[in-house]
Amino acid sequence: MSTYYDENELDDNVRFDGNVIKRLFETLAPHKKTMIGSMIAIILVSLLDAYFTLINKRIIDEGIIAGDKTALVRLFTLYGAIVLVQAVAVFFFIYLIGLQGEKVRYDLRKRLFNHLQQLSLAYFSKTPLGWIMSRVTSDTEKMADLLTWGLIDSTYALVNIITASAFMLSINWQLALIVIASLPVMLFVAFKFRTRIYYHYRQSRKANSKMTANLNENITGVRVVKALRREDRNLENFKVLSTDMYRSSYRAAYLSALFQPTIQTISALSLALVMWRGGLSVQNQAITIGGLQAFISYIMMILWPVQDLARVYADMQNAVASSERVFSLIDTQPGIRDREQTLPFTSLSGDIEFDDVSFHYKEDEPVIKHLSFHVNHGETVALVGPTGGGKTTIVNLLCRFYEPTEGTIRIGGTDYLNFSLQNIQSRIGVVLQTPHLFSGTIRENIRYGKLDATDEEIEAAAKLAGAHNFIVNFEHGYDQNVGEGGNLLSVGQKQLISIARAILANPDIFVMDEATSSVDTLTEALIQQGMERLMEGRTSFIIAHRLSTIKHADKILVIRDGQIAEQGNHQSLMRLRGHYYRLYTQQFRHELESQLDPYQQVSEGFEES
Amino acid sequence: MQNKKNAYPELDRQKITSNKNGLVTLWHLLSGYHGHYALSAIMLAISAASRTGMYLFLGYFVDQIIGQGKFGTELLQGAATFMGLIMLQALSGFLSNKLAAQTAESSTRRLRDLLFDHIQRLSFAYHSEVKTGDLLERASSDVDTIRRFIADQAIGVARIIVIFIINFTAIFQLNQRLALISIIIVPVILVISIFFFRKLSKAYEAYQEQEAVLSTNLQENLSGVRVVKAFARQSYEIKKFDQNNYEKYLRGKRLNLMHALFWPISDTICAAQMIASNFLAATMVIDGIITLGNFITFSGLLGWLIWPIRNLGRLIVDTSRALVSLNRVVEVLRVPEEPLFEGSYLPASGTVHGDISFEHVTFEYEKGHPVLEDVSFDAKAGQVIALLGSTGSGKTSLVNLLPRFYDITSGSIRLDGVDLREYPRSFLRSQIGIVEQEPFLFSCSIRDNITYGVNREVTQAEIEETAREAAIHDVILSFKDGYDTLVGERGVTLSGGQKQRVAIARTLLLNPRILIMDDSTSSVDMETEVQIREALQRLMKDRTTFIIAHRIQSIMNADLILVFDEGKIVQSGQHEDLIDQPGIYHSIFEIQTRIESALQEEIDSVHLL
Repeated sequence: MSTYYDENELDDNVRFDGNVIKRLFETLAPHKKTMIGSMIAIILVSLLDAYFTLINKRIIDEGIIAGDKTALVRLFTLYGAIVLVQAVAVFFFIYLIGLQGEKVRYDLRKRLFNHLQQLSLAYFSKTPLGWIMSRVTSDTEKMADLLTWGLIDSTYALVNIITASAFMLSINWQLALIVIASLPVMLFVAFKFRTRIYYHYRQSRKANSKMTANLNENITGVRVVKALRREDRNLENFKVLSTDMYRSSYRAAYLSALFQPTIQTISALSLALVMWRGGLSVQNQAITIGGLQAFISYIMMILWPVQDLARVYADMQNAVASSERVFSLIDTQPGIRDREQTLPFTSLSGDIEFDDVSFHYKEDEPVIKHLSFHVNHGETVALVGPTGGGKTTIVNLLCRFYEPTEGTIRIGGTDYLNFSLQNIQSRIGVVLQTPHLFSGTIRENIRYGKLDATDEEIEAAAKLAGAHNFIVNFEHGYDQNVGEGGNLLSVGQKQLISIARAILANPDIFVMDEATSSVDTLTEALIQQGMERLMEGRTSFIIAHRLSTIKHADKILVIRDGQIAEQGNHQSLMRLRGHYYRLYTQQFRHELESQLDPYQQVSEGFEES
Repeated sequence: MQNKKNAYPELDRQKITSNKNGLVTLWHLLSGYHGHYALSAIMLAISAASRTGMYLFLGYFVDQIIGQGKFGTELLQGAATFMGLIMLQALSGFLSNKLAAQTAESSTRRLRDLLFDHIQRLSFAYHSEVKTGDLLERASSDVDTIRRFIADQAIGVARIIVIFIINFTAIFQLNQRLALISIIIVPVILVISIFFFRKLSKAYEAYQEQEAVLSTNLQENLSGVRVVKAFARQSYEIKKFDQNNYEKYLRGKRLNLMHALFWPISDTICAAQMIASNFLAATMVIDGIITLGNFITFSGLLGWLIWPIRNLGRLIVDTSRALVSLNRVVEVLRVPEEPLFEGSYLPASGTVHGDISFEHVTFEYEKGHPVLEDVSFDAKAGQVIALLGSTGSGKTSLVNLLPRFYDITSGSIRLDGVDLREYPRSFLRSQIGIVEQEPFLFSCSIRDNITYGVNREVTQAEIEETAREAAIHDVILSFKDGYDTLVGERGVTLSGGQKQRVAIARTLLLNPRILIMDDSTSSVDMETEVQIREALQRLMKDRTTFIIAHRIQSIMNADLILVFDEGKIVQSGQHEDLIDQPGIYHSIFEIQTRIESALQEEIDSVHLL
């Protein structure tokens, strides 16, 4: 799922932005030691790899051709010693660079995560979750790969090419020039190939995510597919997508298959030239047989570093694009921050006042227009009105998830911008419409409200919330696992736990978005009861859907089009026979009808009225 | 149009699923491409042989050309032969990889299509049990694992084996003693490599698991951002993420250490073999047992034989993984499809009339747990049948029987006097329209969604007319792209009521004789509710309609009301009959009528205050 957004947003042409590359390499700064260590090790490995060929030359010339067995022993011993040295170097370069890779990944993820915690709600509501996920998971991976294996491979390749060239020059410079002249051609072809392969590979990834999305939809909508007998046409549609996938994936595979043989063919030309010219040189004794053999080995080996360089080049495009996205996230400033000077941490019990507050997400599209109202300490306010009228925004403003674009919100007479965010948000308890729990146990979830709470406090809160009874009925009681996102619990149970969590936090102000989804009558009653406990003695804002909540509120605000259409208590608003009257009667019918379930006590549905 | 070009040999599901042996299954999977694959293997052998030939020729070149001082045309010919051998190797290598890629891409594309089609033709019972994510995983990542196995790993194993055989034979021809001594290390390396890659595979899984944990952590944090902010728990979240992040770092470090140890150790072991054999060969040259050319040939062949063995362990582990994936795919393919065309009866007129009778119908998902028990009733064509009852009372199960999403356990259902099981499912479904409570729309344009069920060209005029009837035309025009507006993530999000009306339009266009609908308008405002109600009335006209009822208004005019309790019909008749009987229907009606009076009381009470 996390790769979803990833594939579709990739540009086909990545620019190399110098600044991005600089910042990318700056992430290595804390790991200088491992970096230098692994670099030294890899350079040694690369040098020795080229040197082996030279020893082989000497084995042929000084040992075999000379018929000198002691020289042979000496040379093979040298060979063995170098093998051991190289093995140690290999250990170090793998160990150090791997370590560095893990560290860079760890750092980047940490940096991103910590930054994400500072961003305001506005950012999360306009950025798809999958997009953010991809930044933290796959992009950091690509960056780390370039900063480790990309660096190592290209260093190895460069050192290897240079050393081999130097050794060849030292053996016979005319022949060496033939090989060196072929290098740019090989490199050019390799880079071209890699770029094309990479392009098709990316296309195939895109095609793949389209194909998977199509399959996903077909499975989730299988009932409709079956009912409407769409099987044949859907298969046809799918085949178009799977053919796209086939084409690009095959194209990439085809080019990959052609890649190495092409480079090999180029090298065959220089090899043939070297053998011919080299053979003649043996005649003039300008080169030994061992030397000629060394040349042949070098030419056959040099294919690899050339291909490595091309691969790193392609990966680098990828990694730079990833870095650009990651840095853009890191550069995003939180829209809502503490003011330079904040008041000392304080309780937020006091009157709440919205004074001519306006708010918009986008210019020209005001969501809240010149809203003013006053709530006394300890009062319960019910916000009612149509969806999209601005109820949720008012609550978000109060929690300072957003700040007013105009006007002032005062708590206890002080402009709330003077408090720290931490102060406001820790003193306001929120219960959401769709309760969100974290994986872990019930206990951990309730403790989220107060991290140092004792087990007794947790139980007390659960009891107050009316959650205790169902919790102890679980096999593991409070240590029952709630599953990912609390999925193992019912909506009603999640709601009760989130109420317990809010009770434990003991906030000064309580905000609740009532659930519209129906829960069974018993749970419903428990939730109602829990809410009432929470509202006791606190200023409460409820986005209300239930009649009983609305009726018991001290103040009802009917919000329409970002304004207060009507305000007052139940009686006064009913008398108006306006918006509230209509909303109330509709809800009244609806609520009773939803209790049409004939298997519940019929009388129960009437208790409210 | 595209079809001809994309035609491919059919894949036989029977064959694939009939054998328990994974390799046999794999063989059937490649049917139609066996020739390609065999040719790929032959090319592979040619490629390997020409490389062996190249080393052999190098020996000849040193001994017979340079050694004999033939620096004229022989030298030139020698160089040309050498080049020719490399080019032959390159060409056959390319062909081998290309053919393997073709086999892999073509056969997996075909497998994907087969899976897609198979999945959508699996029974409802299967779909309600299996998790979407699991199916998706099998159809995408498991298929990809199989693809990689065919393209790379199987070919890789073959390459190592072919290289070993050819090179060993060549060395054996040179000198038997040398050949036997030179492969002492092979079993050792093989064992170490298998042992290592098994361990590595486990460590890698642990690493991946932690990656999943980290992703879940991140995802929960992001989706619960409001809770995090509401409780001001940023630093707690940072700490939690850091723990998981650090654990991943530790596991990565462990994985890395394994790599850092394996490669230098195996390097050293292989190098020891190389040194020993080469030393022996070199002394044999000096002792005149073999020639210098033989030595050069031997040295080249041996190096090429030894080093790849190290990768065999990885390939073996990969193979066992691929077989697991293959098995997971075959498992899905083994599930029998729902036969869409089985059944002999088709009415002469081409459509059904719509008389439906249930006779002692019992239905159970699980043996011994009937969800419908002894249900009998008659519905005449064009009648409206209302189904009433609590959740789980059997209403939905009953309507699922009509399009034969499930088949009954005992009793019989007759449509126009003919047993339902004699109608092919496909025909039956063409006669039945379904409007669900939360209709599923596909992420294509609104136009395509409306015409989703009909297998013919539909004019824009007809679509618009239908949309008007479904009271959705004006809504569609209010979107910027009108009928071309995409539904879902990449387009507009439709409200529940809008979706329902699109589904009504979809069904209107289908023009079925029998209609199944879920009468729920819970989440829409009053005005929309009236529109939907009117649209539904138009839809129901002249069709046998089954309504899953949630409210009394839509039931009052029904020709037959069936009240369900625990899978049985407890009351049946028309409104007038049932209203006077004591029982559930009466109670429900009571609630409904009392709602209005209660509401009036409520309103009056306000005025009295």
